[in-house]
Parts: sequence; C-alpha cells; structure tokens
Amino acid sequence: MSESRQLLCEMANGLFSELAEVGFDNAWPRIEEAGFASLLIPEEQGGFGGDWGDAYAVLRIAGRYALSAPLGDAIFAPRLLMEAGIKPPAGLIGLARANGKVGYGRHCGCVILIEDGELRLVEVATSEVVEGYSLAGEPFDHICPGGAPLASAPCAANLIAMGAFALVAQSAGALDAAFQLTLEHVNTRVQFGKALGRFQAVQQAMAEFSVEAAAIDAAGQAMAAALDKGNVLDDGAAFEIAAAKLRANMAIEKCFPIAHRLHGAIGFTIEYALNRYTRRLMAWRGDCGNDAYWAGQLGQHVSKLSGGGFWPEITRRSDAAGSVV
Amino acid sequence: MQIFPIRAFDPPGDVTRLREQVREIIRQHDHRWTPEERCNPWLKCDARFSRALGDAGLLGLTWPRRYGGQGRSVLERYVVLEELLAHGAPCGCHWIADRQTGPLLLRYGNELLREKYLPGMARGEVFACIGLSEPNAGSDLASVRSQARRTPDGWVLNGQKIWTSNAHECQAMLALVRTDPASERQAGLSQLMIDLDLPGVTIRPIIDMTGEHHFNEVFFDDVLIPFDSLVGTEGEGWKQAMAELAYERSGPERYLSTYMLFVELVDAIGADPPEPVVQLIGRLAAEIWTLRQMSMSTAAKLAAGEDPVIEASIVKDLGNAFEQAMPRLIQAAVDPDLLAGSALERMLAHVLVASPSFSLRGGTPEVLRGIIAKGLGLR
Repeated sequence: MSESRQLLCEMANGLFSELAEVGFDNAWPRIEEAGFASLLIPEEQGGFGGDWGDAYAVLRIAGRYALSAPLGDAIFAPRLLMEAGIKPPAGLIGLARANGKVGYGRHCGCVILIEDGELRLVEVATSEVVEGYSLAGEPFDHICPGGAPLASAPCAANLIAMGAFALVAQSAGALDAAFQLTLEHVNTRVQFGKALGRFQAVQQAMAEFSVEAAAIDAAGQAMAAALDKGNVLDDGAAFEIAAAKLRANMAIEKCFPIAHRLHGAIGFTIEYALNRYTRRLMAWRGDCGNDAYWAGQLGQHVSKLSGGGFWPEITRRSDAAGSVV
Repeated sequence: MQIFPIRAFDPPGDVTRLREQVREIIRQHDHRWTPEERCNPWLKCDARFSRALGDAGLLGLTWPRRYGGQGRSVLERYVVLEELLAHGAPCGCHWIADRQTGPLLLRYGNELLREKYLPGMARGEVFACIGLSEPNAGSDLASVRSQARRTPDGWVLNGQKIWTSNAHECQAMLALVRTDPASERQAGLSQLMIDLDLPGVTIRPIIDMTGEHHFNEVFFDDVLIPFDSLVGTEGEGWKQAMAELAYERSGPERYLSTYMLFVELVDAIGADPPEPVVQLIGRLAAEIWTLRQMSMSTAAKLAAGEDPVIEASIVKDLGNAFEQAMPRLIQAAVDPDLLAGSALERMLAHVLVASPSFSLRGGTPEVLRGIIAKGLGLR
C-alpha cells in the first residue's frame, strides 16, 4: 500500500469510527470538512490526486463503520463534473439512479442525472422530492427535476456502474464488520457450558462466512486495481465492476443468514449493532444492479466474445502494463 | 482487518508471449483430444503432449538449469498452468512430478535423487505419483502403516497405498512410510522415492464411477529399496509431506478443472441465447474472474515468501465448490435437446459424474474449513 493511501486510511478510520453512530446532520459537516470531495480530483487542480484504489479503500472503511452519509456520491460527483467541464457547486451532490432515486436526496444541494449520453446538474430546491427510505432506514428519495438544469454536458459515464463500485467497497467493509461482530459473539457467548465457537458446526459456519468475506474483498480490490489500469469499457461499465458487484451480491446472500443464525435473538434487536451492517448489506444488494441486472450484462458481454474468447479477454485485461496494486 | 488482502501478480518477462507459446503447442495437439479428455485435464494423461511441453522447456520451469529446469519464476509457471487448464490440455502424466515431487526433491532430496529424477521429469519423460493414502489412512493421514525396515542391503518395504492416481502411468512414487516400527501417529514417518518397476511392487487398477481407470492400489511385498532413496531426514516425513500438500492447494487447478464446460456452453447456445442461460453465463463469469484474482494473489504471496495457509484453503474451498457446481447449474439451465450430439453434451455427462472427486483431492471442504476455523482462532 502506498504511503499516501495509508495516511488516507488512517484519517478515514479515525473520523469514521467517531461517526459510526452519528446521524447524517451531524456527520456530514465533518466529512465535508475532511475534503473527501477532492479525492479523485488531480493534484494540479487542487485535489488529493487519488486513484480508484484509494476510493475503494476509503469507501470500504465507510462501510466498515456503517457511515450515515452517501460518501460514494460525494467522491464521484466532483470528478464527473470536472470531466464534463462543470464547476461543482457547494454542498452535497447526489448521483441519481435510472429511476430517479437518490440516496440522501433531500440533503443534497444538487443532483446529477445522466440520460442518453447527457449529464444534467439539477437543483434539489427546484425539484419535486418524494421522500422514502431504503430497507436499512437510510433516506432514499425520488427527485423529479422541476426547472431547467443548472448545467449540462455530454457524458459517457455510467452512473449505475459508479454506484456499484461504491457499494462493492462499502459491502466489503460492512461484511467485514458483521464478520468480526459474529466472531466476537461466538467466542464469548456460552451455551451448553462452552463458547459457541467451540462447536464444530459453528466453526464450519464461521469458515464459510470468512470465505465469502474474502471473496467480496478480493473481488473489490481487484476491481479497483483493474480500473487503475484503465480497463474501462466504452460505456463506462467496466467488466470488473459488473463481476465484482455480482460476486458481492452472491456473498451477501450467503453471509446474511449465517450472521443472524449464529447471533440468535440477540442479533435481531434494533439496539444491537449487527442490523446496522446487515440491513445495509441487504439494501445494497438490491441497489445499483441486483444479481439479474449484472448477470444479464455480463452474460451478454461474454456471449458476444464466444466461448474461446473469454479467456484471452480476462488474461489480456489483467496482463495490461503496470502493477496491479 | 482485511480478510483477503490482494497482492499484485506481476510475473517478469513477456507474459503475452509466454501465453502465446503455450496456446500454440496446444493448437498442435488438441485435435487428438476427446471432449472427456479435456475435462478435469490435470488428471487425464497424454504422454506425447507432456513430452512436447518438456521439449518446449515448459516443465520444471522454475528448477535450476543444472537439473534440466529453466530457472524461471514461479509466477511464469503459474501463467503456463492456467493456460494449459483453461484450454483443457491433458496434463495428468507430468502434473504431480512438476507440481510437487520435483520441488520436494529440490528442497529435501539428496544430490543423487535430484540427478536421477529431475532431468527426466523436466523432459516430460519421468512421471511420479503421490504415495500418501492407505486403506485406513485417508483424511487421517497419520494412521499410515506401510513399513520400511532397515536391513544391511537397504530398506525393505511392506504395505499398501491406495487411491494412487495414475500410478500405472508413472515410473516413481514418493511415499510416506513408517521407518520406526515402534512409532505412532506423526512420529517415525519418512519419505522414500520408490521406482515402481522394482521387484515386489504390484499396481492394480480401481475403476472409478465414471468408468475410467485413474485410481490404483499399489502393493509392496518385501520391496528392497536403496538407502539413498530416503528423501530428507529419517523420521521427518510428516513435516515434509505437509509441506508437499501446501504446494497443491491454491493453484489454478482448484477452480479450472471444468473450465471447458464454460467455453462449450457459450459456444453451444449461439448468438441469441435464452435469458436464463445468459444469466447463468454472467454468474459463472463473475465467479471465474473472482477466483482467478484470489488464486493469482495467493500465488504472488507464495512467490514473495509469505506463507498463505489460510488463503490457500479459502481458494481451494471456494474453487472446488465452484467447479463442482458448474456442471449441475448447466444441467439445470440448458435444454438438453439443444445439446444433442454436441461436445458440451459429452463433457456434461462426464463431469456431472466426475465432479465429486474434485473435493476429495487435497482435502475435503470439512477439512479445509477446519483449517480456516483454526486460523480464525476458533479451534
């Protein structure tokens, strides 16, 4: 890990652990102040000059502490606007899903929509906001633009893929947190005269859990590393994002029941921390492309390559010049 | 804590050229291979192909030149292996010698043994098999009972090995045997390199449930073995054999055994496949890509001198589960009438039956998860 990424992670760990149970209103000013919005802005333009690996690392930590703020949008929006030649307005900028939904939309100053290759930056104040919540209890609002956009520009970026990138990173962090919590529980909870973790059946379930947590994290890191090599498809939906999001969804499917099974009723209370991770994981699994969406995208892509074409494609992408991490 | 930190896979040299070299050799031979031979390819034997790889300098790739090797990096070797497997090239003859017997002789063997076996292995002419399991020593390997007695003329071996894959194709076996008759469990075991044409060695086939002959029973009746066939240190066999197992857990063979099914599936369904099959291809692609990242990262850690025991068990557990699930998922999703007469139909029929063996070799899921749980501090 580079020295700058290490410093970045130390800073994020320190701040996000303090904000772990803080609501948006009190958390956001401190996140904004820390300057994450400039993470992907080049140094010569006054930014941090970070890469996708840095973004992955920070978003993973956000997931680890179940941050109550849309950090992915806050990091990606300024970069998108920079590429489109639009000066970012002050305040939180949200990224709209294809259906107009925006995480924490009511708290945003502006929202970015991309449709038919055109990026539009619209003010929330002039839009209709239909408030809603994700199944994790986070604001998930429908933004219907009212007046003319503040700015617009041609844009080839794929917002679903960018959102998926953030969710893979956050899911890896949240799954790690859920895993650590479960490990601690089975090590301390005593039944039948011994810690749950001494039972072989529990050990096997924990091993299964850790294997999936490993897969999601490996896929996420490799996804970020591939983007840093410039492996982006023309439509902005990198093959690696699709594969990593789908694999992440599959890992969540396996681990959600294990975490709760091993916790028993204790893990089912609103008070105990587990649900802060597991509810988010289940919300993220369905957001920015569920299994069917990404399996369809990937399946179409691979079918066009022909059977013998898939292997040369994935080896070419990973052999591309430069070190992976 | 990060459960699976990725390490960069960065082989030296021109990797693209190396891949092309392997693919070109495969193209010269693949017309001879049946669909069944292209599945589970590191078990299937084609001695001619193994010799061709040896001629091209692609076996013993990492071994020193004075033993017939090429002195290249373990990551270049990884590239060669994944190319062979992803193209369904039958590598069963040389696989074990190249993967573990040769490296073990390099690490523990005396000079005589190295000179006797390694050059032939690197040429693709000398093949070796694994002498670990016995009738009462399967997952519980420490129950090994085959016994080598020290006599003035050499070791005299009596006993039996079982489930010995491809022993009938091999010239030698690296066997774990008891050299201290009073010993129990892990103590008193040693490794011997045994020529299978010695008097008193009998190899009998065990036909597996696919109807093929890979498994064997190997009997030893008063087999006289020279003293210098002892590999490493007398009594240290258990430790050496465990090191041997570590060579085999995280390689690309742990998720690519059935890769040719994926290739044939994509080709069989045509340009406008039904949606459930598209979905399945997408899911399989995501898993293959993820497993490849995990396996490469573990190889890079091994190459850097780390000891990724847990990572290797994770790769094998996930990889075996995946390569076993793939034929079942394809059977469930694809209209069998569309496959009539195709290579995929034959591969599927074969692999559905062959796949239970994938999690036998190198540790069952239960054993692997036990290792992982130990790594988590639960045992």
